[in-house]
Amino acid sequence: MSIKTVGVIGAGTMGAGIALVCARKGHQVMLLDANQAVLDKALVYLESILTKDVEKNKISEQEMTETLELVHLVSEIEQLADCDIVIEAVPERLDLKKSIFSQLSVICREDALLLTNTSSISITEIAGGLSHPERILGFHFFNPAPVMPLVEVIRGKKSSEENVEVAYRFAQELGKVPVLVTDTPGFIVNRIARPYYNEALRVLGDHVAGVEQIDRIMKLAGGFKMGPFELQDMIGIDINFATTKSIYTDFFHEGRFKPSRIQQQMVQSGSLGRKTGEGFYDYNK
Amino acid sequence: MTTTNKAVLLVGTSPLYAELNHLMVERGYQVLSLAEAMAEPELIELAVEVNSVDMQAKKRQVRELDDLLPPNVPIITTSLAITATEVASWTQYPERVCGFGTLVPLIERELIEIAPALQTELDTIQATEDFFQSLGKETETVNDEVGLVFPRILTLIINEAVFTLMEKTATATDIDIAMKKGTNYPYGPLEWADRIGLDEIFAISRGLQRDLAEERYRTAPLLRKLVLAGRVGVRSGQGFYTYEDKVGVEA
Repeated sequence: MSIKTVGVIGAGTMGAGIALVCARKGHQVMLLDANQAVLDKALVYLESILTKDVEKNKISEQEMTETLELVHLVSEIEQLADCDIVIEAVPERLDLKKSIFSQLSVICREDALLLTNTSSISITEIAGGLSHPERILGFHFFNPAPVMPLVEVIRGKKSSEENVEVAYRFAQELGKVPVLVTDTPGFIVNRIARPYYNEALRVLGDHVAGVEQIDRIMKLAGGFKMGPFELQDMIGIDINFATTKSIYTDFFHEGRFKPSRIQQQMVQSGSLGRKTGEGFYDYNK
Repeated sequence: MTTTNKAVLLVGTSPLYAELNHLMVERGYQVLSLAEAMAEPELIELAVEVNSVDMQAKKRQVRELDDLLPPNVPIITTSLAITATEVASWTQYPERVCGFGTLVPLIERELIEIAPALQTELDTIQATEDFFQSLGKETETVNDEVGLVFPRILTLIINEAVFTLMEKTATATDIDIAMKKGTNYPYGPLEWADRIGLDEIFAISRGLQRDLAEERYRTAPLLRKLVLAGRVGVRSGQGFYTYEDKVGVEA
């Protein structure tokens, strides 16, 4: 299948970033959002990134114009009918995603590939009960999508191997590094990174070491770029906690994934990290 | 602190042995084996014991050191798979025992963790800090628990990667690529395990499971089987990956 037109649903940071990744490779992109203000903001975001590229002499002014011309802002899902691939990047709510894929199942051609950028919802569950679930796959970009090289290509219970291959090659064509994952809670990265936060919280809770000590040790002894507490503050402690809880629930409460009371209290108290000015560290100083 | 010709007794079978030996000689220490120390035990100013897999062997060697050396000589012991407090409890002079933890290759470790036992006296802690700092390492003193901080957290990351591999959620290569490209880990967890030695990681995992007794610390069965099969990583030519030239571990 030759891919010409890509639909991107949701024009937030992830959606806009994915649209840029696709447009940079010459695809026609239909960027969909029901909210016009979000679409306007996405356009400003795309222009700002491309302007920086021009300033750094990475691309010419003409290439910038050409790339922007490839991105079409749309507000009705029916406008995605001719897309070869649709990538959904709306907020992480199962009902929302299910509703979108059930509409896409009707609107899109039977051979169109339907991808979800979810980081925490089961692909199998999103595809469950829909016609042609074999064409629904996970396609998980990392934030910021234009920069981070990884894409997790996730096969749901009913995804076809043929479509997995198409999605894998598509990720490569976009200049990304794809990895293949079978649908399991957290896929690869969010699952295996869990202990970095969770065990650090346990070590803290048991008073083996303090916040600054643990961060210092993981950076100097372990070679990690950021300590587990600095990272939680950057990601948002609420986001981190929600991911842990969802993986814990989806693994039917296996002990390894049990969330931390310390993290819960941070969320309850409104100390969510950098975005609130306070988390494990104080950013108001 | 001058280290010139200071005599240190080094014993144990951990991969740390070769690297510590190398580092100490480079920094002007006179490194003695147990047999050499037995001839002139009064020369020894410090003893370092590095066994992390076989707890019986560890106990035997720590007791040998304790019997051989005058009571004021510090015994620095790896507390990766067992607490320093438990190791100290084997000795007649527990106040001279202090734990530490790190993983090979030492060239990549800017910092070494020190974990005093409950019984350790202040002079011993000071001697332990001075010793590692004299090897050019920063130190951080933490409370005594199996695996300390870095080895414990890394062990759990590796264990989760092994579960992921065992369940065939992804291949070893894809798991390692994902963790490096998706979240900037310095190494993929499985290639990291191969470099450290699966036996060392297994020992830490087992120690956590034994001492803390929670499902959380359940060792991935595949990790146990690889160790039993002798596939401990780069050192043995095979682990999660195969290595044609058994290079990379000798210091």
